Order: sequence, then C-alpha cells, then structure tokens
Amino acid sequence: MYPRWLWSGFSLPGVVWLILLFLVPFYAVIGVAFGSVDPLLQTPVPAWNPATWNTGWITQVLQEMAPGGVYWDPVRRTIYYVAISLGLCLLIGYPVAYYIARHAGRTKTLLLVLLIIPFWISYLMRMLAWVNLLEPTGYATRFLDFTGVSDLAVRSGLLLNPQSWLGGASITVVLALVYGYIPYLILPLYAALDRIDRSHLEAARDLGASPFRTFLHVTLPLSKTGILGGCVLIALPMFGDYYTPDVISGAPSTTMIGNQIDLYFHGGPQPTKGAAITVVLSLFLLIVMGYYMWTIHRATREASRA
Amino acid sequence: MTTSAASARTTQEFTLWQRIWGWITNPWGKPRFLPVITWLYMAWAIVPVLIAIQFSFNATRSRTNWAGFSTRWYWGDPNDSVWHDPALRHALQQSLKLAVLDMVFAVPIGVLLAIGLARWRGRGSGASNFLMLFPLVTPEIVSGVALFLVFTHIYTVITTSTFAQVLGHVTFTISYVVVIVRGRLFSIGWQYEEAAADLGAGPFTALRLVLFPLLVPAIIASAAIAFAISIDDFVISQYLSCGAQCDTVPIIIYSSTRAAPLPSTNAIASIMVAFTLLAVVLGYVFFRIFTRGEVREGGISGDMSRFEI
Amino acid sequence: MAHPKDRPTGWASNRREFLERSGGAALALSGAAGLLSACSNSTTTATSTNASGQKLGPGGYPLARPNQPVTLKRWEDPIDSNLPPETGGTFTIYNYPNYLDKGVMKSFGEKYGVEVQLTSFQDINSGIARLANGGVHPDVMENTPDNMARCVAAKLIKPLNLDYIPNLKKNLWPSLWSPYYDQESRYSVPYTTYATGILWRNDKVSEDIASMPQPLDIFWQAEAYKGKVALLSEPRETIAMALLRKGVPTGSNMSTLDLINTEDPDLINQAVADLKQLDSICHIKVGDTQFQTIPEGTTYLNQAWSGDWLAAYIFYLPKNTPASVMSYWKAPTGHVPVQNDCWSICSTTTKPVLSHLWLNYINDNGVARKNFLDFNGYQPPLEELDPSTLISDGTFPENARTAILTKDDFGQGHIEECTLTTTGQQLWQNGYSDFLAG
Repeated sequence: MYPRWLWSGFSLPGVVWLILLFLVPFYAVIGVAFGSVDPLLQTPVPAWNPATWNTGWITQVLQEMAPGGVYWDPVRRTIYYVAISLGLCLLIGYPVAYYIARHAGRTKTLLLVLLIIPFWISYLMRMLAWVNLLEPTGYATRFLDFTGVSDLAVRSGLLLNPQSWLGGASITVVLALVYGYIPYLILPLYAALDRIDRSHLEAARDLGASPFRTFLHVTLPLSKTGILGGCVLIALPMFGDYYTPDVISGAPSTTMIGNQIDLYFHGGPQPTKGAAITVVLSLFLLIVMGYYMWTIHRATREASRA
Repeated sequence: MTTSAASARTTQEFTLWQRIWGWITNPWGKPRFLPVITWLYMAWAIVPVLIAIQFSFNATRSRTNWAGFSTRWYWGDPNDSVWHDPALRHALQQSLKLAVLDMVFAVPIGVLLAIGLARWRGRGSGASNFLMLFPLVTPEIVSGVALFLVFTHIYTVITTSTFAQVLGHVTFTISYVVVIVRGRLFSIGWQYEEAAADLGAGPFTALRLVLFPLLVPAIIASAAIAFAISIDDFVISQYLSCGAQCDTVPIIIYSSTRAAPLPSTNAIASIMVAFTLLAVVLGYVFFRIFTRGEVREGGISGDMSRFEI
Repeated sequence: MAHPKDRPTGWASNRREFLERSGGAALALSGAAGLLSACSNSTTTATSTNASGQKLGPGGYPLARPNQPVTLKRWEDPIDSNLPPETGGTFTIYNYPNYLDKGVMKSFGEKYGVEVQLTSFQDINSGIARLANGGVHPDVMENTPDNMARCVAAKLIKPLNLDYIPNLKKNLWPSLWSPYYDQESRYSVPYTTYATGILWRNDKVSEDIASMPQPLDIFWQAEAYKGKVALLSEPRETIAMALLRKGVPTGSNMSTLDLINTEDPDLINQAVADLKQLDSICHIKVGDTQFQTIPEGTTYLNQAWSGDWLAAYIFYLPKNTPASVMSYWKAPTGHVPVQNDCWSICSTTTKPVLSHLWLNYINDNGVARKNFLDFNGYQPPLEELDPSTLISDGTFPENARTAILTKDDFGQGHIEECTLTTTGQQLWQNGYSDFLAG
C-alpha cells in the first residue's frame, strides 16, 4: 500500500545529514592527517587530493605506536584499561540487568527509573563527585580505609597508601571508567534479557533443567547479541576517553591514547600528528565495528528465517 | 509431644543474623545475591551524586569538609555564586539552549530515519544502517576532532560557534533517536496499518492517523534522551566552542577541575541535574497523557526493552 | 516458509565470502599504498637562517633573546591619537582562567559602559591556535614574549599607539619600556612577572630543599612523597627544569640561556628520559593547580611559579592552616627562568580605542595592585611597588620573601624561555608528548 520510494525518501534527510556532518568530517581528519602545517599560524593545512598526500605524519605515528615507540605505552595502557573495565562492567552489570529483567516483580519500574537516572546526570558531574569523595579527607577515602579495602589495595600493590586514590593510581582510573560507562551497558543488556521469550525457559524447566542450568544453557546464549551490542557500545568510546584520566588522576603514568590526541590539538606546531593518531584509532574501531555488524547481520538473517 | 516440640521452634528463636543468612541462602527461593548486588549497584551509582549535591550547599570553600548549610554558592556570594557569576549563568543558559535545539532538530530527522531504515529494503539500506550506527560507537575525541576540523577547513562559513555546536550535537543524537524509535516500530509491526488500508485509508492517512500516534511514546522517550545527551556532552561542545559565549556547564566543570574548583561548580551541576529531572518528569507526564487508555504489553518496562542496537 | 538451511543473502553470508571480500579490499588498499608511497613524506620544516647565520624564527624574525633584541615591523599603521573610546556592547578579554580579578574587569566595564567578558584558554599555544583558526574574536589578549614574533608575522595582533598608554612609561620598570622581544613596545605592554621554582609544604617534606647543592634534585629523591608531587603541565617549563638540573654539559661553552632554549635533540631527549624516571620514583602528576593543592595539602611538592605562593596565601589557604607551612625556592639570577607576561590587542577587535585604554587601565598603579593583592598573587612590574615593603608592612609574612621578585631578578644575565624555531618547537612538543605518555 505504500509507494516504494517512501521509505528511502524518509531516510533521505537523515542520511544526507549524516553524510555531510559525519562522513565529511572524517574526510577532513584524513585530509589534515595527510597534510602539512602552516609554520606561522601553526594551523593545519589539509591536503584534499590523495595525490598530494604527505604520508610522513602517518608513518611517524605508526612507528611510534609500535612496541618501543613513544605511544606504545599509552596504547597498551588503553587496551588494558578498556579490557579490565569492560570485564568489570559485565561482571557487575549482567547480574543487575538479569535481576531487573527476570526477578524484580513489583519493584521493576522503580529499579528501571533508578537505572536510567545516571543517564540524566552529566558524566563530568559524576566524575566530579568521585574526585570530591576520593580526596584524602573525602568520605569515600575514609569509608574505604575504615572497611579495610584501602589496606587490601595497598598490599596488592594497586595503591600507594590509603589516602592516595587520586595520586595517579591506575585502579582509580579503571574504577572511574567502570562507574562512568556501566549505565550504557546495563540498559541494552536489560533489553536483551527482557526480550527473551518466557516459553523457552518454561520449556527448559519442563525438560528437567535446574534454574542454574537453564541460565547457563538457555538465557546466556540467547542474550549473546545483547552482550555483544552492549560491549561494543561502551568499549569503543572508552578507547578515545581522555577526560577521565585527566580529571581523576592527572599523572602521565595513567594517560590514555586520547590524551595524546588532545595534547596535539591544543596548540603547538603539530596538529597534523593529532589528526594522524585519530585516523589510526578510527581505522581500528572501524574494523571492530565491521566485525560486530557482520555478526549481527548473520544472526538477524538466521533468526528472520524462522 | 514430638509435634509440639517441633512446632516450638518458631521464627522468634532465630537471631536477626540467622534470619538474614537464612533469607540469603534459601535454596527454594530466587537467587538472593541478585537483589543485593542490584541495590548495592544503585546505591553506588547514585549516592556520590547526592553527596556532590550536598556539598554545593557547603558554607565554606571546601568540597570535602562539611561546614554547615548555606546557599552562598547559588545566590549568596557576590562574586562566585551561580547567580552573580556571569560565566556560570551563561553556561547554564547555553547548555539548556543547546539541549532544546538538539531535541527540536534531532527528533524529527531521527524519527523519519528510523521509519525509513526499518522498512527500506532496497539497495543502500545496509550501508545507511551502518552509517547510522557508527556515531553511536565513535569515541567523542574522534568526533570532536573531526567536527572541529570540518568547521575550520570545509564549512568555514560556520566557524566554531553555537550553531556549530548544535549541528554537532544533532549529528550524534540522531542515532540514539533512531535506535529507540526503531525498537518500538518493530514491536508494532505492519498489522495496524494493514488494517487501516483494509478499511480504506490511503498511505499518508495511515501514517498520520495510525503509525505516528502509536510511535508517540518512543518519540517522547527519544526526545528526553536527546535532551540528556546534549546536556551531558562535553568533548564536542569544547572543541566547537567559540569562547566564553559558547561554554556549557560540562566545560565549566572540566576547567574547574583543572583550575580551582569551588562548590559553585557543584551548584551549577546540581542545577543541571534538577533541570534534567524536570525534563524527564515532564516527558513522563506527556507520555501518560498520550497513552491514556492504551493497554500496552509490559507497561513502561516493556517499552524500555525495545531498546536494541 | 524458508528452510533453516537456506543460505541467507547479503554482503557476506559465510566466513569464506567475508575473507574473500575483505581480502579484495586489502589488495585494493595495498595498491593504494603503492600509490601513496609516491606521495611526499615529510614532517619537518627547514629552518631558515639569515645572512649572519643566525637561525630565524617564525615570520623571518631572528630569535629574540635578552642579549639579541628584536624590533617587530608594523604591518599596519596604529590608530590615530585622541579618538573617543567606543562604548556599549561587549568587550572580550582573552586570558587564562583565574588570572584576572573579576572586580577589575567589572570596574573597567562600568567606567566605559561596556560589558566585559572573559574567554579563557587552557594554555597560550592553544589560545593562539584558536585565535588563528578564527574560533574566537577577542579584543585584547594576554600574551607571552616567546610568541610575540609569531603573532605579529601572522597579523594576529595590532600595533599600538602608545599615546593612549601613558601608564607604560609612568608606572612600569624602565627596563620593560622597550623589551628585547618587542623593542619600542610596538605591540605589547607588560602584565605580570614571575619566576619558576619549587613550592612545598615544609611540614610534610622533611628535606631542607633550599640548602641542597642542587635543590631541583628533590623531585628525583621524592620517593617518600609518592603521589603528592606534581610538575607544571607546560612543555617548556618541565623540560627546562630537567635541563637546568643537570646544567650546561661539561666542556660545552653554551650559556645557561642557550641551555633552556636549546634545539639539540640529544639534550632534549636526555632531559625527557630524566623526567620519565619520575614516574616510578614519585608517581609524578602534572597540573597547574598548585596554588590550591599545596595549601589544601593534596600535594606536598610542586614545581610552581612565584605567584602561586602569594595566590595561595591570599585566596586558598584554609582557615586552620598557617602560612608558615608553605615554602618557596627559586635559583639565583642566571639560573632561574623568569618571565613577564604581556597584553596585546587582537586584530579581531571591534573596539581598538577601548582596547588601548584597557592596556593603560591594567597598568594603573591602583588597579594593578588590586589585581595582584586581591586576587592572582603575580607581581606587576610597578616602579612604586617596592617588594621589601610588602613584607615590612605586613601584607605578606616573612616566608614569602623568596617568592617576591625584585628588579635584580630581571637584571643582567637573567634567563628566559624564549622563541624557538618551528623545528625546535616540534622537538620540545615531541619530548613532552613522550613524557606525558608515561
């Protein structure tokens, strides 16, 4: 009943917008990364024509990112932080999402409201709250000291002394990343778990599986795409995070690769280097995103065949 | 005698700790550690913010030592309070302005795109879908740098300015709107419009009278999300800022942590929280008005579960 | 109904197709790589030299040094004298945050009937970059001597008509009427003076830093204060400190001035390697908030500017902390980097006369004193401000003495961080990036 051009017509404004303001800016980054710098103004001079590209910056950046180079430490550290934060987010977030989706009963609406409250609070404000709490005389520092958590952290080498949570500790940065990004994981996880048809679970019960085995063999596999989607949703932006280490730590020993990009773009004679690092980072993310899209594409095609 | 002895062991004879432990380890009930984790998580997520709000009412300059209640950082202090410091006031206005403009532009484009992408089966639909998803996962520094460079080298007529900030925000909000509306669209399916067609409605009438009203809850939810994303945005706002005129609240918070934080920063952040909560409450009120009389499967939680990438 | 075993259609329905297609893409890319290798491949710019072999900085001006002054050419005529000031609208000052008293800005606005607003930058280089990109349109801007030639060559600042700025010669030190970086004050007037040294809490740090043979060594011996030590987040200041600590290499006839303005990659790399040791020694942090963290006790040992002691005393010392716990040390003249900041008028100004009047206003004795004593703690180079009286009349306590600058600190043989060539700037930035990478 609908004309065939209607749906592509509807998509047109959005697609045009995204091309003009998403794809074209990426090309601007590429143009700058392969361009040069005005020596006087120290502003980048982009090279739009691929034939005129200056590959010096990209090759320098790639060399520096290899082990032993200047950027190797931030790159390695970023990968560690993202991997550990992702793991912690899943460890904490999955049970929460599972509880709300499956067992919450009457408190479900309340819990959902509480769940989305962090979305409404500025990320930086949540970090600011932690900066205040983790100062040497802050409430959290005193609480953690009182409960012995600080002692544990000091003894396992993660912390210098019970008051130095803000003294350039990697553990604080990881926990801040977890705190900041976990709401964005729980919501898609909740959505995925809520969508699981109860009849599957009932069937498993009918066939004699215990609750734990039902979870392991039915719920977990069915929520795989949700887990993957949530992980992609938080891991990729985390790779470019720079303000979290800045705000919560401020030490060179906890900087991430985003801090290097920020350094070159905030003045100085080499903004092209910042653009080159951005290009390399984007390429990496493009590959990960491509893999994710292919997985989802395959899963939805198979599911829609049913 | 044995039965009365057995029934003499009532709950009064267990201590409080024994009862709690029994509740947790009850093998016949639902797994107890789950609600414990959930409520602990909720506390961990929200309490720090409450404490930050508390310190915005601190009587001294300290953000860690409570010295008594005072509203000096809101309107009392003649130089540094939110009311008197033009930089803070302006940042508040700018944040709200960007958020409203973001909503106004992103929601229509996003809704159309959502409907289009969900139903378009032709060539280019896959690529468009991929294009739409990418902004969701792009790190902010990449998008900030990209937009900064495009506005300083390609679209130079719009240099870094409030207009540029709006364009930047909308670009990244569209994807969220699409994802939310599309979820709702999938659960509606074709059935209502087909019924309308059977009853003689033309295509645009069906869209106007059947599809859009059904989408309204998702549209409201996405408008609220658009507002929240814009309020929260830091990197894009900073890279596209034109100076004092364009600074938003997150920029003020960030530079205060690099310079000299005062409780007025907590105050302005608390005001932002109040505004967003107000927006959410208003959104919920509109939502209830528009879905009056509807019986929807799962209620609100059913709608939340439509969120899928 | 389709059978579950039917192959789905799409871009790549199985792993083999995926590999084929991406393999094809990779092949295409490598072909492109071959094409790209034909492109240029350079990240350095050649440094030009003038007839006498002196290296030229940005804009073709020789590199300004205290013993090699530079006169900047006027790229346009200054405005005429005796014009009335513009009123109404906004007047934008481009400066660091927290470097200018809000009361001073407000009273200027009231005096001339404009609304004064402050646009801030995180550091001078990003400030100039934003100005050059056209991202901001301020009226006046706070500037530093090492960027003066570049701003003039890029026409970012306007030449001055000193008839509007009598306070320059009336109130300020004669040695700054025609400074080495801007002879005849064609483009700038001075703002504040400061030195770079060490600020610490003497109740937490047990070493007597001032009597050490090389006090800068304290950072490399600060294991006891892990997590409480910080350096300035400035490329020049951090690397210069590491260079000054080791001093001029033995056997070299380089002056200390040349040392902190060196473009020798070996010296810079060695300094960066020294700085990187601090990560493991004391978990070094970088930041510019020492004027708050030292009095509040969140850091114990900081590289700091002299004004930070005074600002901490004036504004940030908590009520129950006595001023005697803060100590400041700076090296003797010739080994301590000193500097004076400046004000310039931006080319984007729409109120040139008012901008000149601001440059005059900020150097008025009363206004400059108020800005200094009521707010930022950085000394203006006022003739009438006798530093010794600041202690004798009780404005500052005795242990502020080391943080107060005198004319001698800017006397013969003083060293400053001056302009570098573009190659030199790249070296320093790359070095700092290496330090920041941890």
